[in-house]
Amino acid sequence: METDKFAPPSRPLRVESLRKSYRRVEAIRDVSFGLAAGERLALLGPNGAGKTTLIRCIAGRTKPDAGTIELLGKRLPPSGERDRLGWVPQDIAIYSDLTTRENLTAFARFHGLRGAELNDRVGWALRWTGLEDRSEQLVGGFSGGMKRRVNLACGVMHAPHVLLLDEPTVGVDPQSRQRIFEMLDQLRDSGTSILLTTHHLDEAEQCCDRIVIIDHGQLIADGTLEQLIARTIGPSRHVRLRIDRPLDRPLAPWQDGPLHGSLGVQNPPGGQDCLQTRVDDVAGQLPGLLETVRTAGYGVLNVEVHAPSLHDVFLHLTGQELRD
Amino acid sequence: MVVTVMTVCLRRLAHNRVELVLAFVVPIAFFSIFAVIFGSGVGTGLTPNIKVVGVDTVGDEQSRQILRVLRETPGLSFVDTAESDDQTEPEKGSTPRQKGSTPRPTPAPDETEKDLRAVEVQSASTSGNALTEQGDSRKADKQAGTSRRQAMELVRRGTATLAIVLRRQDDGMLMADLLSDSSDQVAPQVVSALVQQVLAGIPETSYRVPPRYAKTVSGPIGMPERGMSEPELPGTPSDAAGPPLPLKRVEIVDLLGKGKSNPVVTMYAAGIAVMFLLFGATSGGGTLLEERDNQMLDRLLTTGLSMDQLLIGKWAYLTILGICQTTLMFAWGQLVFGVDLLGHFDGFLIITVVTAGAAAAFGLLLATLCRTRGQLNGLSVVVVLSMSALGGSMVPRYLMSPGLREAGLWTFNAWALEGYDKVFWRELPVSELWPQMSVLMVCGAVFLVTARGLAIRWETD
Repeated sequence: METDKFAPPSRPLRVESLRKSYRRVEAIRDVSFGLAAGERLALLGPNGAGKTTLIRCIAGRTKPDAGTIELLGKRLPPSGERDRLGWVPQDIAIYSDLTTRENLTAFARFHGLRGAELNDRVGWALRWTGLEDRSEQLVGGFSGGMKRRVNLACGVMHAPHVLLLDEPTVGVDPQSRQRIFEMLDQLRDSGTSILLTTHHLDEAEQCCDRIVIIDHGQLIADGTLEQLIARTIGPSRHVRLRIDRPLDRPLAPWQDGPLHGSLGVQNPPGGQDCLQTRVDDVAGQLPGLLETVRTAGYGVLNVEVHAPSLHDVFLHLTGQELRD
Repeated sequence: MVVTVMTVCLRRLAHNRVELVLAFVVPIAFFSIFAVIFGSGVGTGLTPNIKVVGVDTVGDEQSRQILRVLRETPGLSFVDTAESDDQTEPEKGSTPRQKGSTPRPTPAPDETEKDLRAVEVQSASTSGNALTEQGDSRKADKQAGTSRRQAMELVRRGTATLAIVLRRQDDGMLMADLLSDSSDQVAPQVVSALVQQVLAGIPETSYRVPPRYAKTVSGPIGMPERGMSEPELPGTPSDAAGPPLPLKRVEIVDLLGKGKSNPVVTMYAAGIAVMFLLFGATSGGGTLLEERDNQMLDRLLTTGLSMDQLLIGKWAYLTILGICQTTLMFAWGQLVFGVDLLGHFDGFLIITVVTAGAAAAFGLLLATLCRTRGQLNGLSVVVVLSMSALGGSMVPRYLMSPGLREAGLWTFNAWALEGYDKVFWRELPVSELWPQMSVLMVCGAVFLVTARGLAIRWETD
């Protein structure tokens, strides 16, 4: 795996050789990565991979055993001195018995804002969340999506340079998720660097500039989606054929010029009517594949071609086993 | 289906240790606490020793004999006034106040009192061990100056529960005035019975009416102006010169309840207030655990807020809330039940502030001791109710055995209640509150510092 060890000065957040153990369990093992200005980075990993521990170390809530964290070029102590860092926890950590405005005001004060600056920022947050008309209502009565937006806004009242988001869209409907990512787009446009964890791989794929995957506490992939695909499963498309009757015998190996020996039809067990394979050149190779099936005496009912996705990369890197 | 519901409930109970403790251990714990309180005091026939001070303003053989017998009577514990001289000697500006809060000027000892001889004031152990004759006489000498006024002062300050003052009326009748603190509703009745018993056993033959009293004994003996009067005791008329005096009388004089519109409510208001201050504070402290559970605490500590600021903020809030709650309760007491809040507002405010501060710190301490809200609920029920029981919020402390009374001093309920008692019942000036204020402030500071120490574990993983 190739990791970008070089972090240019423009990178507001830089993590170097971070380690953290809980008794005999190594939660974080020598993790290094950087976050560029205005970049949106997805931190992915199976359950228990160490994502939350990593985020908590950066936020100053967990003391790392070794390694360094630099924010805006300044090495951070284990806790404190994180004025330019924002953290939005996974739980909805706001006062449900306060109104939207009261919550925003309270967190702005906790972040040190006062006077006109505070009022301006609260006004901005109400507009940003689209909750101006609900500013005087108690947050406890809001929908899950609205609470998530208030939760997010409370973490950015002090306009941080780097924002840490722990699963910001968990438990919300697609519309709210879309709205939250529009809000994050606005933050990114204003130069805020965002590091978010998520289990929604489509979110990471569509809304993030770069992806970091950790597993068993180790960083196992770091790059853009294209880079990760190229480094792992390759750019080949996944092809799925449905035939008119179950196979009664294995098909002959499919060989086609430059792909000779590298890929072949994965014969399903007898009695199934689906065939799957990968092709690098859909236009050039798909006709030959169809001809092979037809020559064997089967009719093709349906053809599905899938481009490689983050889902494929993720499963390729972390395996299919359950992580409980 | 019903069986399934029952099974699920039982299994949930089995998985929840706190609920198990609440369901089975707490009732036993409370039964034990109350059994100890009542088992060693009320209900056993073994009334706790009553602290009394004896004053003999007559000074004849009969009165000396009465006090001697009383001193040896089980159940009475004579207060050593030599040890409490500093308390009984009124200081300038520190005398008991009248209603309305203006300190009453110390009255100059009047000439009549100077003549009174207070001979029999002596400490006795609870087992009734007599002092040596030499020591006895030394103490008697030291206490020779104890007067009715000083005895009243001892009762007013709570050093003694009751003063037995022997005096001779103008008509020659020997009176035993029991100057009582009616907040203890048991002691006057018990001492009255004991004194009656002793008086009945003292022969009348030794006393004859002096000529100057001879004219006054012919009429009927009227009831006392106030207080409770016991029936006249039969005496043996003397055949010596002068008319015999067959009568002795015991009169209970309510020293502190007099003039108070509703004295009992005043006492219980404080007890209830302190208990609810504790419950309120532990409930408020529980927000810390809720905030820890939902990551609010983590989040707050990533802002500019420090754990010190968080704890002090919560402590200040709980203190102010407690002050408001208690003030509201006493204001209601004034409106509806006649508690004189406005007349004692300065003392009330002082003792309420320090009590609320200590209770708030205690709530935070309990919260930081626990891991979950469920644990806190269980612990606070046990601790607050135990402290309230031992400290006198539920059962008056005068009903407890001396050992339990001492144990109660380890709860700050007892100190707070003593403070309120001094303010509303004994009407002592604010300067007299310093022991209670000191203990409560030290308690508050220790609780708060300990809570801060325990909260270190929440600062970082």
